[in-house]
Amino acid sequence: MNDPPRKPPVLDCAHLVRHFGDRAAVDDVSLSIAPGETYGLLGPNGAGKTTTIRMVCGLLRPDAGTVHVAGAPMGVSAGPAKRLIGFVPQDVALYPDLSVRENLRFFGRLYRLPRRRLERRVDEVLDLVDLTARAGDRVDSLSGGMRRRLNIGAGLVHSPTLLVLDEPTVGVDPQSRHAILESVTRFGEEGMAVLYTTHYMEEAERVCDRVGIIDRGRLVAEGSPRELVALVAERDRVRLAAVGDLAAYAEACRLLPRVEGAGRTGDHGEVVELVVKDARSLLPDLLDLAHEQDVDIRSVEIDEPDLEAVFLHLTGTALRE
Amino acid sequence: MTAFAVTRASLTRVLRDRTALFFMVLLPVAIIVVIGVTVSGFDRFRVGLVPGARTGPVAQELASELRAAPGLRTTTFTTAEDAHTALRRAELDAVVVLPSGLDADLRAGRPVTVRVLVEPSGSAGHGAVSSVSAVVAEHAARVQAAGFAGAQVGGDFDDNLALARGAERTASPIAVRTETVNGQSDFLPLGYSYSTPTMLVLFVFINALAGGAAIVETRRTGVYARALAAPVAARTLVVGEAVAHLLLALAQSLLIVGIGALAFDVAWGDPTAAAVLVGVWALVGTGAGILAGAVFRTPEQVHAVGPAVGIGLGMLGGCMWPLALVPDWLRSAGHAVPHAWAVDAWTTLLSREGDLTAIVPELGILAGFAAVLLAGASLALRHRLTTHPGA
Repeated sequence: MNDPPRKPPVLDCAHLVRHFGDRAAVDDVSLSIAPGETYGLLGPNGAGKTTTIRMVCGLLRPDAGTVHVAGAPMGVSAGPAKRLIGFVPQDVALYPDLSVRENLRFFGRLYRLPRRRLERRVDEVLDLVDLTARAGDRVDSLSGGMRRRLNIGAGLVHSPTLLVLDEPTVGVDPQSRHAILESVTRFGEEGMAVLYTTHYMEEAERVCDRVGIIDRGRLVAEGSPRELVALVAERDRVRLAAVGDLAAYAEACRLLPRVEGAGRTGDHGEVVELVVKDARSLLPDLLDLAHEQDVDIRSVEIDEPDLEAVFLHLTGTALRE
Repeated sequence: MTAFAVTRASLTRVLRDRTALFFMVLLPVAIIVVIGVTVSGFDRFRVGLVPGARTGPVAQELASELRAAPGLRTTTFTTAEDAHTALRRAELDAVVVLPSGLDADLRAGRPVTVRVLVEPSGSAGHGAVSSVSAVVAEHAARVQAAGFAGAQVGGDFDDNLALARGAERTASPIAVRTETVNGQSDFLPLGYSYSTPTMLVLFVFINALAGGAAIVETRRTGVYARALAAPVAARTLVVGEAVAHLLLALAQSLLIVGIGALAFDVAWGDPTAAAVLVGVWALVGTGAGILAGAVFRTPEQVHAVGPAVGIGLGMLGGCMWPLALVPDWLRSAGHAVPHAWAVDAWTTLLSREGDLTAIVPELGILAGFAAVLLAGASLALRHRLTTHPGA
């Protein structure tokens, strides 16, 4: 389904199961995240994302299965494993009547940071989430976007190895959402492993190196966004506006592997339309062939499926249902 | 260190909450003043004095003695009608009407009657009559002595009366001390000495209960759940909150003790015993507060139910009125709540000059209440945090 991580995983979940009554909230979920990798857990509300995250963070004991963080086993009182995780819950979990700085200090103290390091990290995080100017203000005086950024910052004070973000952009304005996604991308680039849950397909495609699609507690597919899209049986449609002997070009295209159909369209037959598998990887071959046949390509349009279509295909339901 | 972080955050939040500070500082002091002033009147009867017409020195002396009597708060009326009106309005417990021509009758050896009027429904009337009778009897004894001297050896009535006064001063007085006695509370402190310790008991408990709202609020913000994702055990959070509540209860107790001593002249008795009693009561309040923080679902529930429960237990336990005044069955029922034992201990310390050993039984029972409440509260909060960390 996917390539194994090249480096030893920061997070390794094996066969996690958790029931609430008779209902299996999480059913045999296994996933791993390598250092610097951003892993998106994509699924609709109630799919099991938050339950999985709670087990990853040691907030919930699995009925079966194991969680290891950098080799350390996770449990309800697993200090070494918990020390490596920065947890950012879906709702803003801060003291509303303490200041921005006091909140960061509080969460830093929970990880027993020495005083000097704590102060240094608080300053760094304030800078990172762009709240230095509001450091002395009470949280309840901040805008919703600022609170969201601080909510993330509180998970970063102790410099975690694995950052766990549970739908961090829910209810956030577009500007703050953009800032949050930029930050997540940067965390991955800086070597931090990120577990990111969302039900926004475009977010997963934008920030995640790999995506696991979870539905009704089961991980139904896993891979890079491109790999997942490639799972879909639907084909891409490629529209090439061109000048030259387009009839011959279309005929030649039909001989290429993964091309399942080709023909001329347009008012004057100036467009060659192809039905192909994985258009993006085939595109260089199509352009080479055009060059060989003296066909001048003016524009290329590819209609390809996205994760939304993947989800529909795999689960039979829309992602936002 | 992590428990200390929780304690620190909780204390910072409370100290910034003006409403909490109002209930912690201003309200108890205000109530202490109100109840102190009210209870101060319990040891003095309100008496209206109507001097008769044609008053002479003997009648004036009797009026002066009535005004100076420690058990009476005397108001002088010019007419009997005005005094009667005040009595009917329950502004007085009794009215003393000095007869006209009192001096002349006494000098002539005629019997004199001092009328004392009470309202049949007034519960304090008979006590007032007793106090007035004591003053009048003392005065009459002096007059009788003067009359006896005049009858035996002759001489001027006024000279003989002065002689009787001198003899009275040189004779050893026989003091009578009055105490309200029952098996539970002995005699009661009065005025601020009653209101201050009972309000300490009442408000430390109520504020501790109300403090549970902060725990519920923190639960609902998700801070606890987030903290549990850190290398922090649930018991560490419980300890941190408990220490914060204990420190607040102690701070409020010390404030009331200080204000009571400095502003209301309350003598708190043996310092060691008082300190231990304050500490044990703070633990009882802490247990109740943590329990409220664990069992209630919303801060509004705590604010609505907590003070009502606190006041109810306070009433039952003798914080509003002395349990010595209630029927036996109610007094027994009152001792089902910790407040009654705390009030009993304060009564022993303040009124009977008791020391630590004198209140050991009460301390033991209060420690038992504290242990049960703290254990139950810790288990309940820990259970809540580990099973429903975000609720």
